[in-house]
Amino acid sequence: MADTAFRKIDIDIYDEDVLLETELYDPDPRDPSQVLSDAKQKQGAVRSSLAKSDIPGALDIALDSAPYGPNVDEAKNLTLQTVVTILNSTKSSDISNVIKALSQDAQDTLMKYIYKGMGMPGWGDVSGSVLLGWHEKLTEIAGTGCIVRAMTDRRSV
Amino acid sequence: MSNVLRPYLAAVRSTLTAALTLENFSSQVVERHNKPEVEARGSKEVLLNPLTISRNENERVLIEPSVNSIRMSIKIKQADEIERILCHKFTRFMMQRAESFVVLRRKPVPGYDISFLITHVHAETMLKHKIVDFIIQFMEEVDREISEMKLSLNARARIVAESYLSAFNA
Amino acid sequence: MILLEPHNVIIQTTLADKIAKPSSLDVAFVDFDGVRFHISTPDRKTVIQLSMNIRCWDELVQFGAMNILQREYGSLLKPSPEPEYNVSLDIDLDQVPAEEEARETFIRSVSLFKRNALAAPFELAFKQQKELEASGSSQSELMQIHYRDEEAIYVQASQDRVTVIFSTVFREETDRIFGKVFLQEFVDARRQPSIQNAPQVLYNSRDPPLEIREVPGLRNTEDIGYVTFVLFPRHFTNPTTATNTISHIQLFRDYLHYHIKCSKAYMHSRMRHRVSEFQKVLNRAKTEVATTERKTASGRTMSNR
Repeated sequence: MADTAFRKIDIDIYDEDVLLETELYDPDPRDPSQVLSDAKQKQGAVRSSLAKSDIPGALDIALDSAPYGPNVDEAKNLTLQTVVTILNSTKSSDISNVIKALSQDAQDTLMKYIYKGMGMPGWGDVSGSVLLGWHEKLTEIAGTGCIVRAMTDRRSV
Repeated sequence: MSNVLRPYLAAVRSTLTAALTLENFSSQVVERHNKPEVEARGSKEVLLNPLTISRNENERVLIEPSVNSIRMSIKIKQADEIERILCHKFTRFMMQRAESFVVLRRKPVPGYDISFLITHVHAETMLKHKIVDFIIQFMEEVDREISEMKLSLNARARIVAESYLSAFNA
Repeated sequence: MILLEPHNVIIQTTLADKIAKPSSLDVAFVDFDGVRFHISTPDRKTVIQLSMNIRCWDELVQFGAMNILQREYGSLLKPSPEPEYNVSLDIDLDQVPAEEEARETFIRSVSLFKRNALAAPFELAFKQQKELEASGSSQSELMQIHYRDEEAIYVQASQDRVTVIFSTVFREETDRIFGKVFLQEFVDARRQPSIQNAPQVLYNSRDPPLEIREVPGLRNTEDIGYVTFVLFPRHFTNPTTATNTISHIQLFRDYLHYHIKCSKAYMHSRMRHRVSEFQKVLNRAKTEVATTERKTASGRTMSNR
């Protein structure tokens, strides 16, 4: 019986033109450990902002330079946790004003976190109805384009 | 009921509208082939981030967009054994008729109850907002249909039991 | 029709027809629980032979089925049954009562052929209960009637009651779940004041109830259910009530499954309707395609390949 293992070799990876996951977007210039410590630092800053009930400020901090790319799962989860905490502690009547205060980039990042949160129902204190409420308001203000950007941006959070 | 469901359906509607930006796109892997990239998964660069919209663990929608097709899967709420079997029967009944529901997939994606596959051909020959309307209406009515079927089963069971037992008095 | 009828409609109508106008015939047909009938005129047009085959005939004879049939049909009963059948009746059409009402009663009695044969264990149990009550002993022997391939009826008389247990198999998961809903309602329905006199119903899925746990060869898989009816003397002391109770309880298994099938059929028609509604919604999405005929300059029709 001839050896057939060679049939299973993925020759495509030896192709010069092959497209790698990492080539789809610019990698994060920061080191993974740096990203994690940044995320922890931001969590602290968000807490103090929340204590002053400065929701837009807290959200601004949390959404700024969000971790993306491989090897930073811990920082990603930490940031999601931070964002969800902010979202949960916002009164539903304030949502519109908070969103309007955000920059477009921050809005897009927020949309990514909303989808990420809905992708993991039951994780931490993720609540479907809160996220759906935010999603609705965000779509109202930032438009469908915001969803499209969350969908197409390879820098998944 | 519909008020509770509304934000969920609104989110599905806006996401689906955003995802339904499809164009004709020939396969980059096989020459002269043109297939839904979301199913073929041949080239990474044409697949977009899959998005999930969920109310809770038991009610969620997965939308997987790509350049020329999107796949949308729905997990329908099933509170107990009866709803589970009714949901299974209903979705199976529909999927057996996938031929006439052009956008319906014959098999659901694992973990979901029913899946739709919308390609650029559908987006070209049909009105996009009406396709979205159809899916939203399906989601609205499937819950109601299942709970109505359950109620009618219980009602029938009650009548059957009562008329059998009361015949002993005669 | 919610309740099933204990008599056989084919026997009833055929007999009524032939009494009105005798002619030769040869019909084979079936009833619930795999019972086969053969109705024919082997010798003369005016003598109809009705034969029946029941799966559990031997068991029924043991419980006194012959006596009951003898009592019901008397001289009609043939000493030796037709081959392949368990029991035969010879009905001489000239001997049928001429009077309208008596004739109806006669036809009705013949059409209850299967019911009467299957009544044997129940009548025996009712009699045993009376004896036990008088003598003060506890229980009679458990009677088993394997009336279907995988399902059986168990009847047992005690001092103050008669217990009837049905084992029933749900072939499909849907049947099993629907069956559970139905049986739960049977258990619950008794709480209604209007039917508190009905027999008590108990339902076990999977595990056989205590009374028959000793019986060898019982299955305890997911798809089997055991339904227990507890009949009290008020259900069978009066002879008319007893007759009613027997006709009624015999058909329990068929009744249950009949209604499970009905619900499934109803669900199916509902789904068909709902799916066609969805189809209409989807069709609204389709754009109107212009169907004008396209022609080339020379007048030839263009068509899609």
